[in-house]
Amino acid sequence: MNDTGVIFRREFRAYFYSPIAYVFSVIFIVLNSSLYMFHFFFMGNADMRSFFSTLPLVLGLVFIPAISMRLWSEENKLGTVELLLTLPIKTEHIVLGKYLASLAFYLVALAGTLTIPVLLLILGRPDFGPILGGYFGSVLLGGFFLAIGIFISSFFSDQIVSLIITSLVCGFLTLIGWQYVPMVIDGWIPGLGEFMYNYIGVTRHFNDIERGVIDIRSVIYFLSFTALFLYLNAKALERRKF
Amino acid sequence: MIELNNVCKDYGDTKALKNVSFSVKKGEIIGFVGPNGAGKTTTMKIITTYTAQTSGTASVGGYDVLEDPLNVRRIIGYLPEKVPLYDDMLVSEYLTFIGEARHLNGRFRERYDWVIEACGLESALAKKIGVLSKGFRQRTCLAQALIHDPEVLILDEPTSGLDPIQIIGIRNLIRDLAHEKTIILSTHILPEVANVADRILVINDGEIVGNGSFDELISKVTSKGSVYIAVRSAKKDFETAVKDLPGISDLSYDSTTPRGVVGCHLYHNPKDDIVAALNRIIRDRKWDVLEFHRERLSLEESFIRLTRSQGGVS
Repeated sequence: MNDTGVIFRREFRAYFYSPIAYVFSVIFIVLNSSLYMFHFFFMGNADMRSFFSTLPLVLGLVFIPAISMRLWSEENKLGTVELLLTLPIKTEHIVLGKYLASLAFYLVALAGTLTIPVLLLILGRPDFGPILGGYFGSVLLGGFFLAIGIFISSFFSDQIVSLIITSLVCGFLTLIGWQYVPMVIDGWIPGLGEFMYNYIGVTRHFNDIERGVIDIRSVIYFLSFTALFLYLNAKALERRKF
Repeated sequence: MIELNNVCKDYGDTKALKNVSFSVKKGEIIGFVGPNGAGKTTTMKIITTYTAQTSGTASVGGYDVLEDPLNVRRIIGYLPEKVPLYDDMLVSEYLTFIGEARHLNGRFRERYDWVIEACGLESALAKKIGVLSKGFRQRTCLAQALIHDPEVLILDEPTSGLDPIQIIGIRNLIRDLAHEKTIILSTHILPEVANVADRILVINDGEIVGNGSFDELISKVTSKGSVYIAVRSAKKDFETAVKDLPGISDLSYDSTTPRGVVGCHLYHNPKDDIVAALNRIIRDRKWDVLEFHRERLSLEESFIRLTRSQGGVS
């Protein structure tokens, strides 16, 4: 566990070496808050439903790929992957350390949006159940997307390629869970859209939690897929030796 | 300390290593020599567990590289060909990170001070790695390989891109470490290892083509002795004089000598003492000798012959 900590500390600090992380965090917070404020003033409700309905798309398309792209791609490019994988540390621990660092960075950015519930508390009497559920779901969803992102980044040495592919994959997983996208697909191949909506799309699971209904199946869905991608990441790195 | 048995490595259809076997004893310094693309780096990557061999076995310090990679990594210090540095970190941060990852704990301070001294990094500690000169980058990376006082050092082209003074510095450092560590040092420049290494391994096209001390390898490729002589004499006169010398196999005239002077490379069977015989002729004919010396193969020339000899070019 100590090994994971060593990797975690270096990796987390590395986010703050370059301005890119700051830029993306600011974009993330401003984009989410302003998208929300538009709804907030229009509807005048003291809840965060519109915030959590746009969040998956912002996370999947932009923010998560932006913070996961460097995890392995940068190491591949600098050649430091050779250093990491010849340190006396298990590959699993390296993957976990890197993953947790990116998760921590995401949580910091997510914490930046907490100004909204504080604002709601001052202006009205919001129902905190769905808000807590929404944040809990956002942590699970972000964690899942990051696991996909770190896995994808191990295959490329160009960060931009990692970003685009992660963005495509996470964007697809998000959109397939939006009611009308599977309907369109069903129009082409009957049943396929429905199938993907139920078994692949993430939005359905996210929406359950975000409504304040914490369904244990959805939690297991996120956690198990996160674990799967981290495992695949470690295996892919080991496999590369051959 | 290091044992390779019939190691093969395929990258798709290309065979990077073909049945490479060698062993290195504790405390030996091995110069690993071969042209670019011969398989030096691949061999080193297998020893350091970064890459796995396709077949054959390799072990370091008794630990198999596939079965027990963590123990192998623990006793190895590795300087890869492409120096693995994080450009955004300070040199001190980088070395601290390596120290933590290598579990130095209580020994860290002492080892840290030692590598900084040994690699001459005092002035660079507070600098970002990205702004360092090539020499400092190389030394930072060498410090990384030495910080845990490893029993085995694998250095892949440690002096590439350095200036002559820096090369001497690295060579001296390696010489200081000799005999307490087992070192494999790769290079495509033979003179670089000729005076540091106890033994030289020559690899070409994925095969070990030479294994022995420098002199042994040289005598292996040098089948003919050669003497150069320049005298003031007529060419015809010279020719008749040396023609009948025993053991002369071939001669070639030096076309750059001035008028009235004959310069000639005489190739002979190394068993015959051609120098004494030539001396007698010089005395008999009362030639003025301008130049007279045995020729040794230059290091570069022997390197070329070593790596080509398998191809039958000899």
